[in-house]
Amino acid sequence: MKKLWWKDKFNIFMAAIAYLTLLFIIAAIGTVIMKGFPHIGKSLATPEIQFAVKLSLYTSLISTVLCIVIAIPVAFVLARVDIPFKSLFNTLLDLPLALPPVVSGVCLLLFFGTTAFGAWLEEIGLPFVFTIKGIIIAQIFVNLPFMIRVMKSTILSVSPRLEFIARTLGCTPTQAFWKITLPLSRNGIIAGTVITWARALGEFGAALMLAGATRFRTETLPISLFLNMSTGDLEEAMAAANLLIIISIISLYIFNKLGGDFIGGTRGV
Amino acid sequence: MIKLADVSITLGDFSLKNVHLEIRKGEFFTILGPTGTGKTVILELIAGLYRPDAGKVLINGADSENIPPEKREIGFVYQDYALFPHLNVYKNIAFGPRLRKMPPSAIKENVQGLADMLEITHLLARFPGTLSGGEQQRVSLARALIMKPKILLMDEPLSALDPNTKRMLCGELKRVHEKYRCTVVHVTHDFNEAAMLADRIGVILKGKVKQVGVPREVFERPRDQEVKNFLGVEPLKAVYAR
Repeated sequence: MKKLWWKDKFNIFMAAIAYLTLLFIIAAIGTVIMKGFPHIGKSLATPEIQFAVKLSLYTSLISTVLCIVIAIPVAFVLARVDIPFKSLFNTLLDLPLALPPVVSGVCLLLFFGTTAFGAWLEEIGLPFVFTIKGIIIAQIFVNLPFMIRVMKSTILSVSPRLEFIARTLGCTPTQAFWKITLPLSRNGIIAGTVITWARALGEFGAALMLAGATRFRTETLPISLFLNMSTGDLEEAMAAANLLIIISIISLYIFNKLGGDFIGGTRGV
Repeated sequence: MIKLADVSITLGDFSLKNVHLEIRKGEFFTILGPTGTGKTVILELIAGLYRPDAGKVLINGADSENIPPEKREIGFVYQDYALFPHLNVYKNIAFGPRLRKMPPSAIKENVQGLADMLEITHLLARFPGTLSGGEQQRVSLARALIMKPKILLMDEPLSALDPNTKRMLCGELKRVHEKYRCTVVHVTHDFNEAAMLADRIGVILKGKVKQVGVPREVFERPRDQEVKNFLGVEPLKAVYAR
């Protein structure tokens, strides 16, 4: 016979905590949606929000593509190749994940703003401090370790035996990677891309430190939210918040649908 | 044809010590031993997945150390079949020929021929995940054979199958060997399988080759007590049935 959970006081107590938690999340997000959603159409028509949406899309798409291009080879090395200092490599790669984004931003600001390397980059036309390129770099710095983690789990879930069989059938290591490893990682790549993109859209702390918060210049959606909140323009602030919430919900859904099951450690991040 | 000359290798907790084996061209050679004695590693050494820590693997008299797996002209059939899950049966079998840029009509003809022989024609459009163990094994065999390998390596190819399918595939393996005349190195822990299929058997225990000989010799005159204990005392019907 199926056990009825409400017959047990202990279960009722635990379930009450669970439901209260859920209620808290729904209430907090729900308030923003209720307050902002009716005005979203009007706010979307304002030049400021339009600028923020465009800049957010532009920076997040570029940073996500760069994250994929860098994360796949790094993840492959960590999953398949015995390189020296691999465990140290693993720990250091996770560091930006553990750092508060504001601290990451300070690190980037000092690196690009005060070193000879930063000065040289500026000379050759790649200024990162207080520029849109800075937003992209900040998004990459914060998100790359995350994308690498997702890709590493994905590649580890592909049996090396399949790659080896492909070799016996005539593949070079490069061909085995393109024909076996990569196609079998497809779901992980899509899931990782979607969630990385959503995180890039919402990236605030590091971008704020490196690129600053200047209206119509480095104003992404989260920066716009911050600027409008601090000046009391609640409608614009709520519009930006609502857009970010909608994007997050959709991407989380896609991520869990596609990759959440086999990317164990990162489910629901 | 294939010679393992004093090969040693350590992989984690496991090691092979001074393995010496000579496998003749065109023969069906069975490596017989209990699970976890390094039988699969011997196949993978021949295939080029690992390099030995010491000793040499010679193929046709040449040191294979610098020959990558794709140049060794081998076919590999694993116990778990290792079919490519994202490709249907046809594409799994056609994988090798497509890489070699064989004309599509020739690929189709070859796949069809093998599929007919192994009775898997009706499965060509299916994906590996929907096949039974026996069906997957036939596909895996077809995928290896289509490359006309000089050496066919089989790692416990029948051990995951039910007795009936096993008997049927056993007969098929023999036919395949007679037809293609490639050198087969077959790994198993099953005495009957070894006795039925092998031209010669190599008994391997605890990472060492203990005895090599034709089936009757190995089963009737185990070299020492250790081999005797492993093979048991019952005479094998399969040896005498051949």
